[in-house]
Amino acid sequence: MTATHSSRSVLGAHASRIERAGSTLAFDDSRHLQAHRWLVDEAWLLDAQDYTAWLETLTDDIHYLMPVRVTTALGAGFDTSPGMAHFDENKYSLSRRVARFLTEHAWTEDPPSRLRHHLSNVRTFATTDAEHLVVESATLLFRNRGDVHPGSLVSAGREDLLRNTADGWKLARRTILVDESVMRMQNLAIFL
Amino acid sequence: MTRDITEGAPDAMTDLAGTFTDVRRGMIPAHIYNDRELFEREKKEIFGRSWIFVAHESEVATPGDYVVRRVLRDSFIITRDEQGDIRAHFNMCLHRGMQVCRAEIGNASHFRCPYHGWSYRNDGRLVGLPFHQDAYGGEAGFQRKGQRLLPAPSLDSYNGMIFISLDPDAPPLAEYLGDFAFYLDYYTKQSPSGIDLRGPQRWRIKANWKIGAENFAGDMYHTPQTHTSVVEIGLFREPKAEKRKDGATYWAGNGGGTTYKLPPGDFDERTRYVGYPQEMVERMKKTLTEAQQRVIGEDGFMISAATVFPNLSFVHNWPRVADSDDVLPFISVRQWQPISENETEVLSWFAVDAEAPEEFKALSYKAYLMCFGSTGMFEQDDVENWVSLTNTAAGAMARRLRLNSRMGILADGTEVTPALSAEQFHGPGTAHTGYSEYNQRELLTRWADHLDRPATPAEPLEVGTLASGGQAQV
Repeated sequence: MTATHSSRSVLGAHASRIERAGSTLAFDDSRHLQAHRWLVDEAWLLDAQDYTAWLETLTDDIHYLMPVRVTTALGAGFDTSPGMAHFDENKYSLSRRVARFLTEHAWTEDPPSRLRHHLSNVRTFATTDAEHLVVESATLLFRNRGDVHPGSLVSAGREDLLRNTADGWKLARRTILVDESVMRMQNLAIFL
Repeated sequence: MTRDITEGAPDAMTDLAGTFTDVRRGMIPAHIYNDRELFEREKKEIFGRSWIFVAHESEVATPGDYVVRRVLRDSFIITRDEQGDIRAHFNMCLHRGMQVCRAEIGNASHFRCPYHGWSYRNDGRLVGLPFHQDAYGGEAGFQRKGQRLLPAPSLDSYNGMIFISLDPDAPPLAEYLGDFAFYLDYYTKQSPSGIDLRGPQRWRIKANWKIGAENFAGDMYHTPQTHTSVVEIGLFREPKAEKRKDGATYWAGNGGGTTYKLPPGDFDERTRYVGYPQEMVERMKKTLTEAQQRVIGEDGFMISAATVFPNLSFVHNWPRVADSDDVLPFISVRQWQPISENETEVLSWFAVDAEAPEEFKALSYKAYLMCFGSTGMFEQDDVENWVSLTNTAAGAMARRLRLNSRMGILADGTEVTPALSAEQFHGPGTAHTGYSEYNQRELLTRWADHLDRPATPAEPLEVGTLASGGQAQV
């Protein structure tokens, strides 16, 4: 379902269109275990802000999308802002974001935030292509800055397309459906 | 100096008259960025009386389209009714005060209150009142005819930008904007069709609303420091952020802004330099006045950030959006919506000329996402500063400190760099090149002038009674 967000987004024309096929894989299916492990490893990279290593886990045709959620009447037929997103990224724009964090002048992360990406509700689906898996997960990011400021939270569901490459599984498409219309975080100088 | 400004606030900690005097001479008492008492005054005297932006007509393009927007705590439904007219109504049922629309965007012919079922057409008219005869005795008890949701006390628009004012006696919007309208056109009238406005992204920051407004109005001085990182990663063609001091700031009417100085060239060359394709340049030449074109073509200044008092800002910039030498311009409209003295909801929209080629629209949107908004690489560092400033402004020492906001003038008031002549700058208002805080002082002087005036209590509004004939039925 969330794959349609990618196909409808303003900047998603380059994204893979592969979708899930069938119901969830069993929790002891090796494909599910590989996908789950990939997500846990990724959460660790994001907590550590090791964004150089994280960028290596993305395919060159990555589409990284986080629509803006809006409150609409039941039955309105949409719950994201038409033509607007928080992130609608390709490899180039993600690489610029990462490059900025690596300068000595990205003040918003100096001093760095303390981050914890909590991961749960992982469900894996096969696709029509043996080299691709679709993985759904929930993430809850806790971010704390400085000593006395209260921490802030972002809760979101994600749908990922993982591709099996010569260098292992890589992320080819991610749709992040955040659970707030108005974000309660001072900026999104983080990745979900 | 009138003394009634402190009346009714016996526990006031602030010497208001002294605060306003300091602000007017460019010495800013630091606590104004986190002061509950001042915020209470701002609510009444600024947000209760100024023109506040709520939406652009392109956000409600077809009949029935609506968006719900706030002026501080007051929720308004902005609709295009079945006749195509733009309406703004207070989102509160006339009966028990329930919000009649609890979505923030959609399309509807009617709004029905979920509490007791009163319903209103999208032009605000009350059309459904269950058991009108049984419960009220019909028109004799509750005059349904002619009733509508409370309209915004004043509603006006400029280039499709819809503003409302809670003051029924507000001056016309054009008069309020004054000469700033000249500059507003650059952002909102690049072709006869005007802009499409998309978004907004919304997020809350623990910062006072005035800081963003001041920053966008005139702070060219922060660019080389705050935004070093975006230059370092090659997002801009100009290798050094200190290029900003070659630009001009201007103040005109009720707003002001910043510009960049462009390399030599005529209007076409300079407009193409920032990334506009020739077909858009041709349309600009048809919609912009000769004076508007001369600011770019002869004077060499391209608009960048700006603010209209009190809390509406704009930004125009032209980053690289791919690994190439090409740059792409984008426009953002943003509002600093106060939540409290130390919290602001930022509403950040992407604007693009409605007649622009589709490819331009997509790349301009990409440029916006990379630079501004909730994920923008400029905005990330700005907000970090503003949150820190607001937090520090809460304490006792901040009540003693007068922040020096006199950049650009000597102790005796002499200008460090003389104002540009009419031949050097063809736009209205007063313009200066170089780093200065003229515009921040203009903005905060307006702030002081608004707070420093006698309150005008609003009249109560009764509905359903026969009060218009004189006597309410009790």
